Amino acid sequence: MSIVKKPDWKANWYLIGIFSGLWFTLKTMVINIFNKDKMPTVNYPEEKYEYGPRFKGNHVLTVKKDGSVRCTACMLCATNCPANCITIAAAEHEDPTVEKYPISYEIDILRCVFCGFCEEACPVDAIRMGPEWQTPGLGHQDFHYDIQKLAYRANLKGGVLSRVDDEERHHAGI
Amino acid sequence: MLNCKVNGKEIKVKQGTLVIDAIKQADYDVAHYCYHPGLSVAGVCRLCMVKIGDNPRLQIACNTPVQEGMEISNEDEQVKDAVKWGLDFHLINHPLDCPICDQAGECELQIQYMKFGQYDPEMAEKKVKKRKVVDLGSKIVLDTERCILCSRCVRFTDEVSKTNELGIFNRGDRSEVGTFEDKPLENDYALNTVDICPVGALTSKDFRFRQRVWYLKNQSTICTGCSTGCNVKVYYNEEGLFRVKPEFNEDINGYWMCDQGRDVYKFVNKDFRLLEAQSVTEGQAEPLSAGKAAQLAGEKLKELTKVNGPESVGVVVTGQYTNEEYESLFDYMVNKLKVKNIYHWVNNSDTMDDFDGLLLRGDKNPNTYGLKEIMKKYSIQTNMSDLEGAIKSNTIKTIVVAGPENQAVYPDFNERASLFSQASNLIWFSAGPVSAATSKHTLVIPTKTYAEKSGTYVNYKGTHQSSHKVTTIVRGALSLSDSVTLMSGESILTKPVGPQKAMKTNFFVNKSGEL
Repeated sequence: MSIVKKPDWKANWYLIGIFSGLWFTLKTMVINIFNKDKMPTVNYPEEKYEYGPRFKGNHVLTVKKDGSVRCTACMLCATNCPANCITIAAAEHEDPTVEKYPISYEIDILRCVFCGFCEEACPVDAIRMGPEWQTPGLGHQDFHYDIQKLAYRANLKGGVLSRVDDEERHHAGI
Repeated sequence: MLNCKVNGKEIKVKQGTLVIDAIKQADYDVAHYCYHPGLSVAGVCRLCMVKIGDNPRLQIACNTPVQEGMEISNEDEQVKDAVKWGLDFHLINHPLDCPICDQAGECELQIQYMKFGQYDPEMAEKKVKKRKVVDLGSKIVLDTERCILCSRCVRFTDEVSKTNELGIFNRGDRSEVGTFEDKPLENDYALNTVDICPVGALTSKDFRFRQRVWYLKNQSTICTGCSTGCNVKVYYNEEGLFRVKPEFNEDINGYWMCDQGRDVYKFVNKDFRLLEAQSVTEGQAEPLSAGKAAQLAGEKLKELTKVNGPESVGVVVTGQYTNEEYESLFDYMVNKLKVKNIYHWVNNSDTMDDFDGLLLRGDKNPNTYGLKEIMKKYSIQTNMSDLEGAIKSNTIKTIVVAGPENQAVYPDFNERASLFSQASNLIWFSAGPVSAATSKHTLVIPTKTYAEKSGTYVNYKGTHQSSHKVTTIVRGALSLSDSVTLMSGESILTKPVGPQKAMKTNFFVNKSGEL
């Protein structure tokens, strides 16, 4: 139920509020001018804010030591994805120790809700969500991220190494 | 009949029933790997432990026949503990392969672990590594590491296919399943070993890595690969059919099916289908909708029978349609158009009666017997060889062909098609594209395949089996009875589906995969 209140007598003294607000603005402005380092805002887009490594931004496909994609195409991320934005096509690898690998791995980033379930479902640390969050693009084609973009984009500098290594596990007898 | 008690529930079982079957009959879960009702008892997995009466030692349920007054318990704490640590032994050398294993999602190890296991592993030793991705011919890939040595596949090749290819080699924890010197496993029933393998040790090359099993729905239907009419389950999603597995039917196929039947699903998928009707007039092809084409065909037939008489029309029927479709086609042709020249196109008359002793029959049509019954009912006695002369002497000018769904099993397909093309009018019902039909006026109408329609098939021994619609793959296709309804000038009634019901039944839109 909404109750309509009559304007309070205090509302007539609004000028005090306005001037105290203006005073705060003026004060912060003067402080910021003389202490630029402590300023909480950044001059976007010249300056960019770096988020922590745990920030759930754009996906990264990790790589193995030889540089190939770590993903084994088990489809658990695609199964777990609430937005249905991951499309994987699996194929048989020539190397029998690898056996299965994704021949295509696509994320429709416009559908993605950045929940991080894919990261959580992944049994081999093949997909992570990185600190990047700016996703400019000119058309729809720029928002379908393929393996090239997810694993080897320029700012990843050759790919992020996965923590789970098959060979190490093999030697450890797992 | 014997009386026994399973977990306190009193049931009656037949003489000679095994305890494991009695437990299943009483609707209780029992952990097991090596037992398969279609094979002999091996008793090697030691998981189906039960407590019988006051017997202090547990016994395996799969190798113990029920006796009068037996008190069986598999919910006892002692039993649960035995199963749990039995599972631990099975998993000692089992690799952590689930992400790349095709069996994941329908793997007995996963299922049993979630039901009965759930322990913390207590094995400190390293796993024994064995050979992976062993190529066993054109159908099967073997992974010896995943094998839990239940010996189901070995028993299958010994007892059912009687080809004895598989065996267990070496001893102790180095035991491996395999064929001698990795010789290919190429018998006609080899893929049944993939079905009965409780883990992912044997995987089918055809299905390998194409789809995760939890993305697939399944439905029972009838295999149309040959006249045996095995009961099968097809696994499908919105893209089409992916694989076929046998379903138990005591009278027809037991637990098995042949490998040729597993390939039957392929012609159903969109890549091999005729998507819309085609009207070809003197080399000029024009696409049109199937319904329009059927109506056009009806008008044409009516006119032609009026002008040239019903004797000028010949109908060729293959044994690949359902009884209901034959009934409507024959009713239309014989009763309405008075056409009596109906011919049965037999694809391989030499090998028609072949039988390999288990399931596979030479007659590659699912409903030859249904067609024969219908022809008898309408008292039609014709011979396909007469048709050739009639076409050449120009007494038959119009030919209606209810062509094969599965063109691959018709070796004389192109030859016949060019023969029919000599007639001046050709109406061809086909599921797949017919490039050889090049008559002056050709009308090719897309039909539904066995997975897209409901109907009855009659198998080699006269058993009537009904199959139900599984899914729709080609939206534009018509069943033969629908086309006949349209040809006779009536409309096909379609039940309107409300938006809410459509939402509810659309599995693929509202439900992504489930684990």
